[in-house]
Order: sequence, then C-alpha cells, then structure tokens
Amino acid sequence: MTAFVAVTLTFFALRLGGGDPAANLMAQNLVSPEHLAAVRAALGLDQPLWVQYSSFLAGLVRGDLGVSLFNRRAVTTVIAEQLVPTLQLASASLLIAILLGLGLGILSAWSNNTLASRGAQLVGGLATGLPVALIGILAILLFSLTPLAALPGGGIQATRGLLLPALVLGFAFAGAIARVVNTELRRSRAEPYMSAAAARGIGRSPRLLWHALRPALPLVISLCALQAAHLFAGTVVIETVFSRPGVGRLLVSSILQGDYPVAQGLVVLAAVIYTLSHMAADLLALVADPRLRSSR
Amino acid sequence: MRRALALLPLLLLGSCSPPAATAGPSLRYGLTLAPTGLDPHLNASSELTIPLGSVYDTLVFQDPETQEFVPGLASRWEISPDGRTYTFYLRQDVEFHDGTPFDANSVKVNLERVLDPENLSQKAASMLGPLESIAVRDPSTVVLQLSQPFAPLLDSLSQVYLGMASPKALAQWGGAEYQFHQVGTGPYRFVEYVPNDHLTLQANPDYDWAPSVYQHDQPYYRQVTFRFFEDPATRALALETGDVDVIGEMPPHDAERLVSSGKYQLQAVPIPGQPLQLFFNTTRSPTSDPSVRRALLLSVDRARLVRTVFGEHSSVAEGLLSAGTPGASPAVPAELFDPAEAASLLDAAGWRRGSDGLRQRDGVRLGITLIVPPWGSNPEAAQLVSAAWSELGAEVDLQVAPGFGPLKEAQAGGEYHVIGVNFFGSDPDLLRPFFSSDGLYNWTGWSDPDLDALLVAAAESTAPRSERLAMYSQVAEEVASQALVLPIRDYTNLVVHRRDLSNLSFSRQGWNPYLIDLRPAP
Repeated sequence: MTAFVAVTLTFFALRLGGGDPAANLMAQNLVSPEHLAAVRAALGLDQPLWVQYSSFLAGLVRGDLGVSLFNRRAVTTVIAEQLVPTLQLASASLLIAILLGLGLGILSAWSNNTLASRGAQLVGGLATGLPVALIGILAILLFSLTPLAALPGGGIQATRGLLLPALVLGFAFAGAIARVVNTELRRSRAEPYMSAAAARGIGRSPRLLWHALRPALPLVISLCALQAAHLFAGTVVIETVFSRPGVGRLLVSSILQGDYPVAQGLVVLAAVIYTLSHMAADLLALVADPRLRSSR
Repeated sequence: MRRALALLPLLLLGSCSPPAATAGPSLRYGLTLAPTGLDPHLNASSELTIPLGSVYDTLVFQDPETQEFVPGLASRWEISPDGRTYTFYLRQDVEFHDGTPFDANSVKVNLERVLDPENLSQKAASMLGPLESIAVRDPSTVVLQLSQPFAPLLDSLSQVYLGMASPKALAQWGGAEYQFHQVGTGPYRFVEYVPNDHLTLQANPDYDWAPSVYQHDQPYYRQVTFRFFEDPATRALALETGDVDVIGEMPPHDAERLVSSGKYQLQAVPIPGQPLQLFFNTTRSPTSDPSVRRALLLSVDRARLVRTVFGEHSSVAEGLLSAGTPGASPAVPAELFDPAEAASLLDAAGWRRGSDGLRQRDGVRLGITLIVPPWGSNPEAAQLVSAAWSELGAEVDLQVAPGFGPLKEAQAGGEYHVIGVNFFGSDPDLLRPFFSSDGLYNWTGWSDPDLDALLVAAAESTAPRSERLAMYSQVAEEVASQALVLPIRDYTNLVVHRRDLSNLSFSRQGWNPYLIDLRPAP
C-alpha cells in the first residue's frame, strides 16, 4: 500500500513538475519541431496522462518497469547494475554505524563527567550535526592528502573504494544510535533491577553491558531499521562525493534528466526497502526482547 | 534472509578487486557527468565525445587551427555545384577493431542507423539535415543525396556523433546494448563501460590511418580509464589525491589554486557555440520596446560580471556566437557599458523613477521577469545582472528553472521578459532555430522575413566559406541593432592536468581531447 501511494505520487509529481521529457531528452540538441513530435509519439508521451498511468500500472503488476527514455534499456537492468555497489555501501555503513553507535553510546553513559564520556558525546554530536557531504569531503582531505593516508594498509584506492565512504556514512548514522543508547543506559541505570544486580555482586561493566543494555536493544534495533531506510538517502550524497556508482546517483541523474521510468523504478525499490526494513525491525525486536513476545 | 546474509561478505569483497592490469603506461581521465547513455549515434551529451572521440574515426576531420576539413576515413570528396550531392572516396586500408573491413557499405549502415526513427537519435539525426539517401557506388565510394543544400554537413560528419561503427557489432548488439560494446576504427578501442563507475579504452596497435590533425601515428598511453566526478567540489580533490591525471570543468577558484601550487597545468579551452546569453522577449511589454532592451543591455558591466563569477580564464561574450566559432563577430562589444545612457534611455521612454527608486510609467512598474537555467554558474551570473537592473530602477523577478525541461516549459508559457541559455556547436547554422520566425528556439519572439531569408541562404549556401560566414556577421549586426540579446560569457572549459603530462590538445568542438597525442612531459 505504502509502495503504491509512493509510486503514484512520484508518477504524477514527475510529470507535472519536471517539464517535457522529450525536450529534456533532446536538451543538448537543436531539433526540428517534427523530430520532437516524433520522439514524443514514440515514447508514448503524446498519450493522455491517465493512459500513461494505467499502462505504467499494468507493467508494474507484471514486474515490468519499462525502459529508460535515454538508452532504451530495461529499467530493471539499469537499476540492478547499480544496486550491488549501493548494497555494499549501505550494509558496510550500517555495520559501522551499529558498532560505532553502541561504542559511543556506552562510553558516554559509562560515567557522568569523565574525559571519555565527554569526548564520546562530542563525537556523537558531530556525527548527528554535520552534513554527510561535509564529513565526506573532510574525510577525503584527511585520509588522502595528509600523512594519515599512509596509515590504513591497502593504499588510497582500496581505502577510498569502500572503506572510507562506508566509514563516513556509518559515522553520520552512528550519532543517532549513540544518543539512543546513551539515553536508554542512563535510564536503566536508575532501575531497581540494576541495584538488585549490584547487590548480587555483579561487577559494574557486566551490569552495564548486559543488564542495562539488553532492555535498550529493541529500541536500538528499530532505530537501525529506520536508519537502514534512511541510508538510501545518505548513499545519494556519499555516492556523489566519492564518485561511486550506485542507485543514489542514478536517482538524482534520472530525475534531473527527466528519465521518468528509471526514477519511478527507484521509488518502487525505495518503498519496498522501506517496508521490508520495518518488518525486519519488528521481527528482530521480538527476538531481542522476550517481553514483547509475551505482550502479544 | 540467511542466504542474503551469507552473500554479504561476497558483496563486500567484490568491490576490492583491482582492475585488470595492462602492460605499458596508463592514464586516468576525469569526466564530469555520468552520461545516461553512451551511444554517440543515439545520445547527445558532450561528455561522451571525450572518450569516444578516440574510439571512432569520422569521414572527415576538421583542423582545429585552420577550421579546414581534412581527409579522415574519406581520402577525398566532391560536392556537386548545386550543393545536394556529396561523393566520398574512402580509404581501403582501414579495419574496425573487430577485424571487419571498413567500406562504403559501412557508411550506409551507420548513417541509416542514425536516421532510423525507431532509434530515437537525440542529436546525430538532426545533424544530417535534409539528407535523403545514401548510395553505395562501389566498395570505396559512397554518395549522399540531399533534398536541399546543407552547408553544415561536413562539420556534422567530422563529429563523433557521426563516427563510423562496425556494422557487424551494430547488428550483433542492437540499439540498447551496443553502447557497452562499441567498435570503431580509432586509435583506441573500447574495453568496457560500467555505468556511473568507469570506462576503459586500450590503445589500438593496428591503427595506421591517422588524419593530419593528429601529431602522432600511435598512442603512447596503452590504457586510458575514465571516471565520473559529478560534484564540482570533488574535482580538485580527485587530481590531488591522484585519482585522475586530467580533469575538465574545474571550478575557477580551484583551478587557480591548483596551478599556483606548481604541480598542475591549466588549459582554458574555448568551446564553440552560443555563449551564455539572455534573450529579450519582444512580444511582452516592457521588453517589446527596443529602448528598454538597449537600456537593460547598457546597464550591465559584463566584464566585471564575467571576472567575478567565471574567473580570469573566461572571456566576455561579444556576439551571438562565441569567439572562435566560425562566423562569430563582435557585434555587442565587451566595452558596451553605460549606465548613464541606460538611465536616460528609460527616462526618454517615459519610465520615471518614483519615490521608492523604482521606475514606472502610467502607474505601471518597470517589472522584469528573468529566467535562467540552473547549471554552470548561471544563477550567480543572473544575480549580478538582476542587481544591475535593480540599480537602474527595474523590479526584477529572478527565477532559476530546475532543468532544461522546465526552462523550455517556462519559455513556452511566455511569462518571461528575459530568458538565458547557452548551446554548443561548431557550425553557425546553430543560430537558425533561435532567430528564425518559426524556429523552435525563437525565444525572443522576433520575426523578420529578411532575417529568415538570410539564415536559410546561409545554411544552403554553396558559395565559398568566407562568403557564407560573412552572412552570419550580417545576422549578428541585425540582431545587435535590435538589441535582442545580451551576450554574457563565452563558454570555457577549464582543464587541469598534472605537470608530467604534455601535448593535450582538443578537437574543433573543444570537448574531445586527441588522446593519441598525449605524452609524458619531457
């Protein structure tokens, strides 16, 4: 349902706001009016909007997203080619975001005023506040042009290929996770079961890492799932800054150039990913927290 | 789900595998746009000509210095006195990269592919003008028959969009997939194109038919890899981090910084065509009044504008065609800046300043709607223009159209006084759609039968080149006398490369480099 609404909105928004796709297609060329009319007809753009819409829906039902206006290739092929690098980036970033977010969150909740917790809060704040593009450019400057470039093995190319973009995107998303972890840990520190655990002689670290963290996990997991959906937006920026292939860049260029079928296909994909990641979050939360299971 | 998770490490590893190594020196070239389609017969971007200019040879080449046409795959040609029949005598020693011999039939297959309406050619088809038929007289002679004379034809045939592709490969791959398997006769062969990621060329060791525009017979660099840097902010970084050796479309301030570091060299490459210019809508008040148009033109300090927005390396546009484009003439000199004269023109036309500083006539304000495209630095330039006009007492409504489609839409709606755009092209016939009464791009709304006749006569001219080009000077004079346009900046591509690279030169169209001539600096 969500996917259907998103796709319908995109269909009309693109057509009503983006200008004439035939003119876009011929943008860099001085064509004759006859040629333009022929192109419009060949692409079915001379049909009434509702005819275009119903044939688009009919195709969608069959799993046929149409062909790109610009290179006549199947939209599914065009998207599939760009999906792999985006999945690599998104999954690596998510992994980094979770590890870094948990680490920073735990560190900042560890104690109230140590240098470490202050530092973790500052880093978390930077991660939440700075635009991804800026972090990306700073990271390139830092890791490619300074002596730091020599640090990670494998050289600039390998590092910049996936590790650096994933670090940047993961860093940007770690901020929100860290904040949630921090808040939840602080809250559960005050809970009676923590005192009970202390009374049983359980040490400070296991107390914090196991007893306090566990009830926070469902929230963290559903946040991660939300982040996974948002990662899609983050990859747009990262792919551009790091000149990486991927669906994010494809989305931007297809909208700018007016390649409607490709843009629509990407929205379908985004809607599906969004729905799936929310379902996954609910499932994982059930696994992580038995209380949720019993309450159903 | 579990299977998907199991695939994850594989996906992660996949990106780390290095590209296949090749023997011999290699070069990395930065492109600035990842084209949606890369088939020169079908797609239109200027960016695709940068790699593909070296994959394809054309029937003729144009000498960037003399602007003369010289033999390419055609060793000579004849044009009938009525300008409608072109006979090309072809080289017989040429082979495509896949071993297919090049002959007259190849020319026929290529041009018919371009003209086939099914293929939706975005650019190449209209470059052929009134081409009616292609006849093979014998394996080394091909005859093009036109319905009308069309002077720009040789210029068209000298461009990559009409490069000669292997008929065998065209048949094998078809419309959509050929772009990933391109086969030409040029000094480099196409190896692979991974959309949005990279495109690789390899030197063609069999290349033995270099046209006279090339300085060398064989490439030095065995492999050239192209990558795409769309965000302007990342281009200087790409050079500095060693990701590329050469990159174009460098923002002016980055270019200056790189050059002053002493490690890089800058080439400011003028791109022929129409400069960025503002078209005055003559069908709407107040820009329907020539003295208002002239006042608006005179009030903008174009020299300062260009220096501020585009830096030291771009020049002020002085005509309908960028300097260096055949037929260009400085009809609107850069020094044309006289705010006092502009003010008195408006006073004389009855537009008086009110107490708020804005001009009005009969209770109507001097309102100007200015629409510009978003690319390049058009919005910044338009802001300075709009400031100058506000100074003059106009109420300016500046709108940035988000792309070419919306720009065209805004133009079609007619709700504008001034609209800006620039176009590339190396033949002055490019003016026809802009200044003919029924032209698709007649954005000034100007209609003058004499001007129409002049534009058609120039396009169909069979007279010597100099006479034809003189006609375009006449067009420019006419348009300037009516103050129909405000030219702003001649397009300049700022290409920066490492100092250890030399001999970078470009074709007549300005975009595509002669990769065959690149050498390490001595």
